[in-house]
Amino acid sequence: MSDILLEIKGLRAGIESREILKGVDFTIRRGEVHAIMGPNGAGKSTLSAVLAGRPDYKVTAGSVEFDGRDLLAMAPEERSWEGIFLSFQYPVEIPGVSISNFMKAAMNARRKAAGLPELKPAEFLALMKEKMAFVQMKGEFARRDVNAGFSGGEKKRNEIFQMAMLEPVLSILDETDSGLDVDALRIVAEGVNRLRTPQTASIVITHYQRLLEYIVPDVVHVLKDGRIVATGGAELVQQIETQGYDSIDG
Amino acid sequence: MDSVYVIGRDAVPSLVRLGSGESLKMTLVVPEGESCKLELEIELDGPGASLDLAGASMSGGSEQVNIKVTVRHNVPGCRSEQLFKSVAGGQARVSFDGLVYVAHGAVRTVAHQQNHSLLLSGEALVESRPQLEIYADDVECSHGATTGYLNPEELFYMRSRGIPEDVARAMQVEAFLAPVLSRAGEGGQL
Repeated sequence: MSDILLEIKGLRAGIESREILKGVDFTIRRGEVHAIMGPNGAGKSTLSAVLAGRPDYKVTAGSVEFDGRDLLAMAPEERSWEGIFLSFQYPVEIPGVSISNFMKAAMNARRKAAGLPELKPAEFLALMKEKMAFVQMKGEFARRDVNAGFSGGEKKRNEIFQMAMLEPVLSILDETDSGLDVDALRIVAEGVNRLRTPQTASIVITHYQRLLEYIVPDVVHVLKDGRIVATGGAELVQQIETQGYDSIDG
Repeated sequence: MDSVYVIGRDAVPSLVRLGSGESLKMTLVVPEGESCKLELEIELDGPGASLDLAGASMSGGSEQVNIKVTVRHNVPGCRSEQLFKSVAGGQARVSFDGLVYVAHGAVRTVAHQQNHSLLLSGEALVESRPQLEIYADDVECSHGATTGYLNPEELFYMRSRGIPEDVARAMQVEAFLAPVLSRAGEGGQL
Protein backbone atom coordinates (compact mmCIF):
# COMPACT_ATOMS: atom_id res chain seq x y z
CA MET A 1 0.00 0.00 0.00
CA SER A 2 1.46 3.28 -1.14
CA ASP A 3 1.64 6.25 1.19
CA ILE A 4 0.41 8.51 -1.61
CA LEU A 5 -3.35 8.31 -1.98
CA LEU A 6 -4.18 11.03 -4.48
CA GLU A 7 -1.94 12.71 -6.99
CA ILE A 8 -3.33 15.53 -9.11
CA LYS A 9 -1.12 16.87 -11.89
CA GLY A 10 -1.80 19.81 -14.22
CA LEU A 11 -5.56 19.38 -13.94
CA ARG A 12 -7.58 21.57 -16.25
CA ALA A 13 -11.34 21.21 -16.36
CA GLY A 14 -14.53 23.10 -16.92
CA ILE A 15 -18.13 23.00 -17.89
CA GLU A 16 -19.32 23.46 -21.46
CA SER A 17 -16.62 25.58 -23.09
CA ARG A 18 -15.66 27.48 -19.94
CA GLU A 19 -12.36 26.53 -18.32
CA ILE A 20 -12.62 26.73 -14.52
CA LEU A 21 -9.61 24.76 -13.26
CA LYS A 22 -6.51 26.11 -14.97
CA GLY A 23 -3.80 23.73 -13.89
CA VAL A 24 -4.13 22.25 -10.39
CA ASP A 25 -1.41 20.15 -8.75
CA PHE A 26 -1.33 18.60 -5.32
CA THR A 27 -0.68 15.30 -3.59
CA ILE A 28 -2.47 13.77 -0.62
CA ARG A 29 -0.95 11.09 1.60
CA ARG A 30 -2.85 8.62 3.70
CA GLY A 31 -3.82 9.98 7.09
CA GLU A 32 -3.87 13.61 5.94
CA VAL A 33 -6.62 16.18 5.97
CA HIS A 34 -6.27 18.83 3.29
CA ALA A 35 -8.31 22.01 3.33
CA ILE A 36 -9.07 23.82 0.12
CA MET A 37 -10.04 27.40 0.70
CA GLY A 38 -10.88 30.09 -1.75
CA PRO A 39 -13.27 32.85 -2.66
CA ASN A 40 -16.53 32.18 -4.50
CA GLY A 41 -15.97 31.19 -8.10
CA ALA A 42 -12.40 30.00 -7.52
CA GLY A 43 -13.23 26.48 -8.75
CA LYS A 44 -13.58 24.66 -5.41
CA SER A 45 -16.82 22.91 -6.31
CA THR A 46 -15.55 22.14 -9.81
CA LEU A 47 -12.61 20.33 -8.24
CA SER A 48 -14.92 18.20 -6.09
CA ALA A 49 -17.23 17.52 -9.05
CA VAL A 50 -14.32 16.42 -11.24
CA LEU A 51 -12.95 14.11 -8.53
CA ALA A 52 -16.37 12.49 -8.07
CA GLY A 53 -16.90 12.15 -11.84
CA ARG A 54 -19.80 14.47 -12.49
CA PRO A 55 -20.65 13.86 -16.17
CA ASP A 56 -21.22 17.49 -17.20
CA TYR A 57 -17.70 18.53 -16.21
CA LYS A 58 -15.00 17.91 -18.79
CA VAL A 59 -11.33 17.40 -18.05
CA THR A 60 -9.21 18.92 -20.80
CA ALA A 61 -5.71 18.26 -19.46
CA GLY A 62 -3.79 16.68 -16.62
CA SER A 63 -4.12 13.50 -14.60
CA VAL A 64 -5.53 12.26 -11.32
CA GLU A 65 -4.17 9.07 -9.80
CA PHE A 66 -6.04 7.51 -6.93
CA ASP A 67 -4.07 4.81 -5.12
CA GLY A 68 -1.99 4.42 -8.28
CA ARG A 69 -4.96 4.09 -10.62
CA ASP A 70 -6.33 6.48 -13.25
CA LEU A 71 -9.30 8.02 -11.47
CA LEU A 72 -10.52 10.00 -14.46
CA ALA A 73 -11.11 6.79 -16.44
CA MET A 74 -13.62 5.51 -13.87
CA ALA A 75 -17.41 6.00 -13.83
CA PRO A 76 -18.80 7.75 -10.73
CA GLU A 77 -20.04 4.45 -9.27
CA GLU A 78 -16.62 2.83 -9.75
CA ARG A 79 -14.99 5.72 -7.93
CA SER A 80 -17.37 5.10 -5.04
CA TRP A 81 -16.50 1.40 -5.00
CA GLU A 82 -12.81 2.34 -4.90
CA GLY A 83 -13.44 4.47 -1.82
CA ILE A 84 -14.13 8.02 -3.02
CA PHE A 85 -16.94 9.84 -1.25
CA LEU A 86 -18.26 13.32 -2.01
CA SER A 87 -20.34 15.08 0.60
CA PHE A 88 -22.43 17.36 -1.61
CA GLN A 89 -22.69 21.07 -1.03
CA TYR A 90 -26.32 20.75 -2.07
CA PRO A 91 -27.47 17.19 -1.30
CA VAL A 92 -30.03 16.06 -3.86
CA GLU A 93 -33.61 15.24 -2.94
CA ILE A 94 -34.87 11.91 -4.26
CA PRO A 95 -38.62 11.74 -3.66
CA GLY A 96 -39.98 8.20 -3.61
CA VAL A 97 -36.69 6.53 -2.63
CA SER A 98 -36.28 5.84 1.08
CA ILE A 99 -32.92 6.24 2.78
CA SER A 100 -33.10 2.58 3.68
CA ASN A 101 -33.58 1.42 0.07
CA PHE A 102 -31.03 3.93 -1.18
CA MET A 103 -28.36 2.71 1.24
CA LYS A 104 -29.20 -0.94 0.61
CA ALA A 105 -28.69 -0.40 -3.14
CA ALA A 106 -25.44 1.47 -2.51
CA MET A 107 -24.01 -1.06 -0.04
CA ASN A 108 -24.94 -4.09 -2.10
CA ALA A 109 -23.62 -2.63 -5.36
CA ARG A 110 -20.29 -2.02 -3.69
CA ARG A 111 -20.23 -5.52 -2.18
CA LYS A 112 -21.08 -7.03 -5.54
CA ALA A 113 -18.21 -5.11 -7.16
CA ALA A 114 -15.90 -6.52 -4.48
CA GLY A 115 -17.19 -10.07 -5.07
CA LEU A 116 -18.98 -10.20 -1.70
CA PRO A 117 -22.50 -11.50 -1.06
CA GLU A 118 -25.32 -9.08 -0.25
CA LEU A 119 -25.71 -8.04 3.36
CA LYS A 120 -28.29 -10.05 5.29
CA PRO A 121 -31.30 -7.90 6.31
CA ALA A 122 -30.38 -8.16 10.01
CA GLU A 123 -26.78 -7.13 9.31
CA PHE A 124 -27.93 -4.19 7.23
CA LEU A 125 -30.39 -3.01 9.88
CA ALA A 126 -27.79 -3.26 12.63
CA LEU A 127 -25.35 -1.23 10.55
CA MET A 128 -27.97 1.40 9.75
CA LYS A 129 -28.84 1.72 13.44
CA GLU A 130 -25.22 2.09 14.47
CA LYS A 131 -24.43 4.75 11.86
CA MET A 132 -27.66 6.67 12.45
CA ALA A 133 -26.73 6.97 16.12
CA PHE A 134 -23.36 8.26 14.95
CA VAL A 135 -24.98 11.39 13.48
CA GLN A 136 -27.76 11.50 16.08
CA MET A 137 -30.56 10.52 13.69
CA LYS A 138 -33.68 8.83 15.02
CA GLY A 139 -35.13 5.53 13.79
CA GLU A 140 -37.78 7.04 11.54
CA PHE A 141 -34.99 8.65 9.50
CA ALA A 142 -34.41 5.41 7.57
CA ARG A 143 -37.97 5.43 6.25
CA ARG A 144 -37.87 9.01 4.99
CA ASP A 145 -37.25 9.74 1.33
CA VAL A 146 -33.66 10.75 0.62
CA ASN A 147 -33.29 14.43 1.59
CA ALA A 148 -36.89 15.18 0.64
CA GLY A 149 -38.09 18.05 2.81
CA PHE A 150 -34.99 17.84 5.02
CA SER A 151 -33.68 20.95 6.73
CA GLY A 152 -30.19 22.12 5.77
CA GLY A 153 -28.73 20.53 8.89
CA GLU A 154 -30.51 17.21 8.29
CA LYS A 155 -29.21 17.08 4.74
CA LYS A 156 -25.62 17.53 5.88
CA ARG A 157 -26.02 14.97 8.65
CA ASN A 158 -27.42 12.59 6.05
CA GLU A 159 -24.26 13.10 4.02
CA ILE A 160 -22.09 12.22 7.00
CA PHE A 161 -24.36 9.25 7.79
CA GLN A 162 -23.80 7.94 4.26
CA MET A 163 -20.10 8.55 4.65
CA ALA A 164 -20.11 6.50 7.85
CA MET A 165 -21.99 3.69 6.09
CA LEU A 166 -19.67 3.61 3.08
CA GLU A 167 -16.40 4.05 5.03
CA PRO A 168 -14.56 5.87 2.25
CA VAL A 169 -10.82 5.98 1.76
CA LEU A 170 -10.94 9.56 0.49
CA SER A 171 -13.74 11.86 1.64
CA ILE A 172 -14.35 15.15 -0.09
CA LEU A 173 -16.45 17.53 1.97
CA ASP A 174 -17.75 20.26 -0.31
CA GLU A 175 -18.79 23.28 1.78
CA THR A 176 -20.26 20.95 4.38
CA ASP A 177 -20.42 23.94 6.72
CA SER A 178 -22.66 26.07 4.51
CA GLY A 179 -26.06 26.62 6.03
CA LEU A 180 -25.27 24.84 9.30
CA ASP A 181 -25.89 26.15 12.77
CA VAL A 182 -23.22 25.54 15.39
CA ASP A 183 -24.85 22.39 16.80
CA ALA A 184 -25.20 20.75 13.41
CA LEU A 185 -21.67 21.83 12.53
CA ARG A 186 -20.36 20.15 15.67
CA ILE A 187 -22.21 16.89 14.96
CA VAL A 188 -20.90 16.86 11.40
CA ALA A 189 -17.34 17.69 12.41
CA GLU A 190 -17.29 15.11 15.19
CA GLY A 191 -18.56 12.54 12.72
CA VAL A 192 -15.77 13.37 10.29
CA ASN A 193 -13.11 13.33 12.99
CA ARG A 194 -14.21 9.97 14.33
CA LEU A 195 -13.99 8.51 10.82
CA ARG A 196 -10.34 9.57 10.46
CA THR A 197 -7.87 6.69 10.26
CA PRO A 198 -4.17 6.46 9.33
CA GLN A 199 -5.20 4.78 6.05
CA THR A 200 -7.77 7.34 4.93
CA ALA A 201 -7.67 11.00 3.95
CA SER A 202 -10.05 13.93 3.55
CA ILE A 203 -10.37 17.05 1.47
CA VAL A 204 -12.30 19.77 3.26
CA ILE A 205 -13.52 22.47 0.90
CA THR A 206 -14.64 25.64 2.58
CA HIS A 207 -14.97 29.35 2.13
CA TYR A 208 -14.64 30.16 5.83
CA GLN A 209 -12.28 29.13 8.58
CA ARG A 210 -15.13 28.16 10.93
CA LEU A 211 -15.25 24.45 10.02
CA LEU A 212 -11.46 24.23 10.29
CA GLU A 213 -11.68 25.01 14.00
CA TYR A 214 -13.40 21.63 14.34
CA ILE A 215 -11.67 19.64 11.62
CA VAL A 216 -8.01 20.59 11.86
CA PRO A 217 -6.20 20.29 8.51
CA ASP A 218 -2.62 19.12 8.01
CA VAL A 219 -2.28 21.03 4.75
CA VAL A 220 -4.11 24.11 3.51
CA HIS A 221 -4.37 25.07 -0.16
CA VAL A 222 -5.71 28.36 -1.40
CA LEU A 223 -7.51 28.14 -4.72
CA LYS A 224 -7.98 31.35 -6.70
CA ASP A 225 -9.17 31.65 -10.26
CA GLY A 226 -8.65 27.95 -10.97
CA ARG A 227 -5.13 27.69 -9.59
CA ILE A 228 -3.60 26.84 -6.24
CA VAL A 229 -1.84 30.05 -5.29
CA ALA A 230 -0.59 29.08 -1.84
CA THR A 231 -0.03 25.91 0.16
CA GLY A 232 0.85 25.83 3.83
CA GLY A 233 -0.27 24.88 7.29
CA ALA A 234 -2.90 26.19 9.64
CA GLU A 235 -1.23 29.62 9.64
CA LEU A 236 -2.71 30.21 6.17
CA VAL A 237 -6.18 29.90 7.65
CA GLN A 238 -5.31 32.63 10.15
CA GLN A 239 -3.94 34.87 7.43
CA ILE A 240 -7.11 34.51 5.37
CA GLU A 241 -9.24 35.14 8.42
CA THR A 242 -7.47 38.36 9.38
CA GLN A 243 -6.38 39.73 6.00
CA GLY A 244 -8.73 38.13 3.47
CA TYR A 245 -8.08 36.28 0.22
CA ASP A 246 -6.67 39.43 -1.39
CA SER A 247 -3.62 39.14 0.89
CA ILE A 248 -2.62 35.94 -0.89
CA ASP A 249 -1.13 36.60 -4.28
CA GLY A 250 -2.22 34.61 -7.27
CA MET B 1 -64.91 -1.32 -3.91
CA ASP B 2 -61.20 -1.58 -4.69
CA SER B 3 -60.28 -3.06 -8.03
CA VAL B 4 -57.05 -3.43 -9.95
CA TYR B 5 -56.99 -4.09 -13.68
CA VAL B 6 -53.84 -5.25 -15.42
CA ILE B 7 -54.14 -4.65 -19.14
CA GLY B 8 -53.53 -7.84 -21.13
CA ARG B 9 -54.85 -9.88 -18.22
CA ASP B 10 -58.09 -8.28 -17.12
CA ALA B 11 -60.95 -6.82 -19.12
CA VAL B 12 -61.63 -3.23 -18.17
CA PRO B 13 -65.29 -2.19 -18.15
CA SER B 14 -66.06 0.57 -20.61
CA LEU B 15 -68.78 2.12 -18.45
CA VAL B 16 -69.18 2.30 -14.70
CA ARG B 17 -72.11 4.01 -12.96
CA LEU B 18 -71.88 5.05 -9.34
CA GLY B 19 -75.09 5.64 -7.44
CA SER B 20 -75.85 7.60 -4.31
CA GLY B 21 -73.03 7.35 -1.74
CA GLU B 22 -71.16 4.68 -3.69
CA SER B 23 -67.41 4.84 -3.92
CA LEU B 24 -64.97 3.16 -6.26
CA LYS B 25 -61.21 2.86 -6.03
CA MET B 26 -59.88 1.70 -9.36
CA THR B 27 -56.31 1.16 -10.54
CA LEU B 28 -55.27 0.49 -14.12
CA VAL B 29 -51.85 -0.92 -14.92
CA VAL B 30 -50.45 -1.15 -18.45
CA PRO B 31 -47.37 -3.38 -18.20
CA GLU B 32 -44.34 -3.09 -20.44
CA GLY B 33 -44.84 -4.66 -23.86
CA GLU B 34 -48.59 -4.11 -23.83
CA SER B 35 -50.27 -1.89 -26.42
CA CYS B 36 -53.83 -0.86 -25.80
CA LYS B 37 -56.68 1.45 -26.68
CA LEU B 38 -58.65 1.95 -23.52
CA GLU B 39 -61.86 3.91 -23.29
CA LEU B 40 -63.40 4.26 -19.89
CA GLU B 41 -66.40 6.28 -18.86
CA ILE B 42 -67.48 6.78 -15.31
CA GLU B 43 -70.84 8.31 -14.52
CA LEU B 44 -71.37 9.78 -11.08
CA ASP B 45 -75.14 9.45 -10.92
CA GLY B 46 -76.00 9.68 -7.24
CA PRO B 47 -75.20 12.42 -4.72
CA GLY B 48 -72.09 11.73 -2.66
CA ALA B 49 -70.65 9.25 -5.15
CA SER B 50 -66.88 9.16 -5.07
CA LEU B 51 -64.25 7.98 -7.54
CA ASP B 52 -60.57 7.41 -6.87
CA LEU B 53 -58.97 6.41 -10.17
CA ALA B 54 -55.28 5.87 -10.87
CA GLY B 55 -53.35 4.44 -13.77
CA ALA B 56 -49.77 3.64 -14.64
CA SER B 57 -48.23 2.64 -17.92
CA MET B 58 -44.73 1.41 -18.68
CA SER B 59 -43.66 1.28 -22.30
CA GLY B 60 -40.12 0.74 -23.44
CA GLY B 61 -40.33 -0.52 -27.01
CA SER B 62 -42.74 0.29 -29.81
CA GLU B 63 -45.96 0.09 -27.79
CA GLN B 64 -48.92 2.32 -28.56
CA VAL B 65 -50.88 3.12 -25.45
CA ASN B 66 -54.02 5.23 -25.74
CA ILE B 67 -56.07 5.91 -22.66
CA LYS B 68 -59.24 7.91 -22.79
CA VAL B 69 -61.13 8.57 -19.59
CA THR B 70 -64.37 10.46 -19.25
CA VAL B 71 -65.70 11.25 -15.81
CA ARG B 72 -69.19 12.76 -15.67
CA HIS B 73 -70.41 14.53 -12.59
CA ASN B 74 -74.16 14.38 -13.25
CA VAL B 75 -75.48 15.34 -9.81
CA PRO B 76 -74.41 17.59 -6.92
CA GLY B 77 -71.84 16.71 -4.27
CA CYS B 78 -69.74 14.05 -6.01
CA ARG B 79 -65.99 13.70 -5.90
CA SER B 80 -63.46 12.38 -8.41
CA GLU B 81 -59.68 12.05 -8.07
CA GLN B 82 -57.57 10.90 -11.00
CA LEU B 83 -53.85 10.24 -11.19
CA PHE B 84 -52.25 8.85 -14.33
CA LYS B 85 -48.52 8.23 -14.67
CA SER B 86 -46.74 7.09 -17.80
CA VAL B 87 -43.18 6.01 -18.43
CA ALA B 88 -42.22 5.95 -22.10
CA GLY B 89 -38.95 4.70 -23.53
CA GLY B 90 -37.85 3.31 -26.89
CA GLN B 91 -40.22 4.53 -29.60
CA ALA B 92 -43.34 4.18 -27.50
CA ARG B 93 -46.36 6.37 -28.15
CA VAL B 94 -48.52 7.13 -25.16
CA SER B 95 -51.56 9.35 -25.08
CA PHE B 96 -53.92 10.34 -22.32
CA ASP B 97 -57.24 12.03 -22.97
CA GLY B 98 -59.03 12.95 -19.81
CA LEU B 99 -62.36 14.70 -19.82
CA VAL B 100 -64.04 15.82 -16.65
CA TYR B 101 -67.60 16.88 -17.34
CA VAL B 102 -69.63 18.71 -14.72
CA ALA B 103 -73.31 18.83 -15.66
CA HIS B 104 -75.61 21.78 -15.20
CA GLY B 105 -76.69 21.83 -11.57
CA ALA B 106 -73.95 19.47 -10.33
CA VAL B 107 -72.90 21.95 -7.65
CA ARG B 108 -70.33 21.19 -4.93
CA THR B 109 -68.47 18.95 -7.35
CA VAL B 110 -64.86 18.22 -6.41
CA ALA B 111 -62.76 16.93 -9.32
CA HIS B 112 -58.99 16.70 -9.58
CA GLN B 113 -57.01 15.18 -12.40
CA GLN B 114 -53.24 14.74 -12.67
CA ASN B 115 -51.27 13.30 -15.57
CA HIS B 116 -47.50 12.98 -15.31
CA SER B 117 -45.16 11.46 -17.85
CA LEU B 118 -41.55 10.42 -17.77
CA LEU B 119 -39.66 10.12 -21.04
CA LEU B 120 -36.74 7.71 -21.12
CA SER B 121 -35.70 8.28 -24.69
CA GLY B 122 -35.66 11.07 -27.22
CA GLU B 123 -37.80 9.02 -29.60
CA ALA B 124 -40.65 8.24 -27.24
CA LEU B 125 -43.69 10.47 -27.44
CA VAL B 126 -46.35 11.29 -24.90
CA GLU B 127 -49.43 13.39 -25.42
CA SER B 128 -51.60 14.65 -22.64
CA ARG B 129 -54.97 16.20 -23.32
CA PRO B 130 -56.77 17.09 -20.13
CA GLN B 131 -60.14 18.76 -20.55
CA LEU B 132 -62.58 20.29 -18.15
CA GLU B 133 -66.16 21.02 -19.20
CA ILE B 134 -68.00 22.74 -16.43
CA TYR B 135 -71.63 23.83 -16.57
CA ALA B 136 -72.22 24.38 -12.86
CA ASP B 137 -71.23 27.00 -10.31
CA ASP B 138 -69.70 26.33 -6.91
CA VAL B 139 -67.32 23.57 -8.00
CA GLU B 140 -63.70 22.76 -7.16
CA CYS B 141 -61.97 21.43 -10.26
CA SER B 142 -58.33 21.24 -11.29
CA HIS B 143 -56.08 19.44 -13.67
CA GLY B 144 -52.34 19.31 -14.13
CA ALA B 145 -50.00 17.68 -16.57
CA THR B 146 -46.21 17.41 -16.62
CA THR B 147 -43.72 15.69 -18.89
CA GLY B 148 -40.07 15.31 -18.05
CA TYR B 149 -36.91 13.26 -18.22
CA LEU B 150 -35.02 11.47 -15.45
CA ASN B 151 -33.30 14.00 -13.25
CA PRO B 152 -29.54 14.00 -13.97
CA GLU B 153 -28.76 15.45 -10.52
CA GLU B 154 -30.50 12.51 -8.85
CA LEU B 155 -28.73 10.05 -11.13
CA PHE B 156 -25.31 11.49 -10.35
CA TYR B 157 -26.06 11.57 -6.63
CA MET B 158 -27.00 7.90 -6.66
CA ARG B 159 -24.02 6.92 -8.81
CA SER B 160 -21.68 8.83 -6.50
CA ARG B 161 -22.85 6.47 -3.74
CA GLY B 162 -21.95 3.45 -5.85
CA ILE B 163 -25.36 2.68 -7.33
CA PRO B 164 -24.78 1.65 -10.96
CA GLU B 165 -26.42 3.85 -13.58
CA ASP B 166 -28.95 1.23 -14.73
CA VAL B 167 -30.03 0.51 -11.15
CA ALA B 168 -30.26 4.24 -10.41
CA ARG B 169 -32.50 4.74 -13.43
CA ALA B 170 -34.72 1.83 -12.44
CA MET B 171 -35.02 3.21 -8.91
CA GLN B 172 -36.11 6.59 -10.26
CA VAL B 173 -38.70 5.00 -12.53
CA GLU B 174 -39.98 2.92 -9.63
CA ALA B 175 -40.20 6.00 -7.42
CA PHE B 176 -42.10 7.85 -10.15
CA LEU B 177 -44.69 5.08 -10.49
CA ALA B 178 -44.86 4.19 -6.81
CA PRO B 179 -47.91 6.34 -5.97
CA VAL B 180 -49.94 4.26 -8.45
CA LEU B 181 -48.24 0.87 -8.21
CA SER B 182 -48.37 0.83 -4.41
CA ARG B 183 -52.18 0.85 -4.73
CA ALA B 184 -52.04 -2.20 -6.97
CA GLY B 185 -49.69 -3.94 -4.55
CA GLU B 186 -51.92 -3.24 -1.53
CA GLY B 187 -54.75 -5.28 -2.98
CA GLY B 188 -52.35 -8.15 -3.59
CA GLN B 189 -53.58 -8.26 -7.14
CA LEU B 190 -50.38 -7.50 -8.99
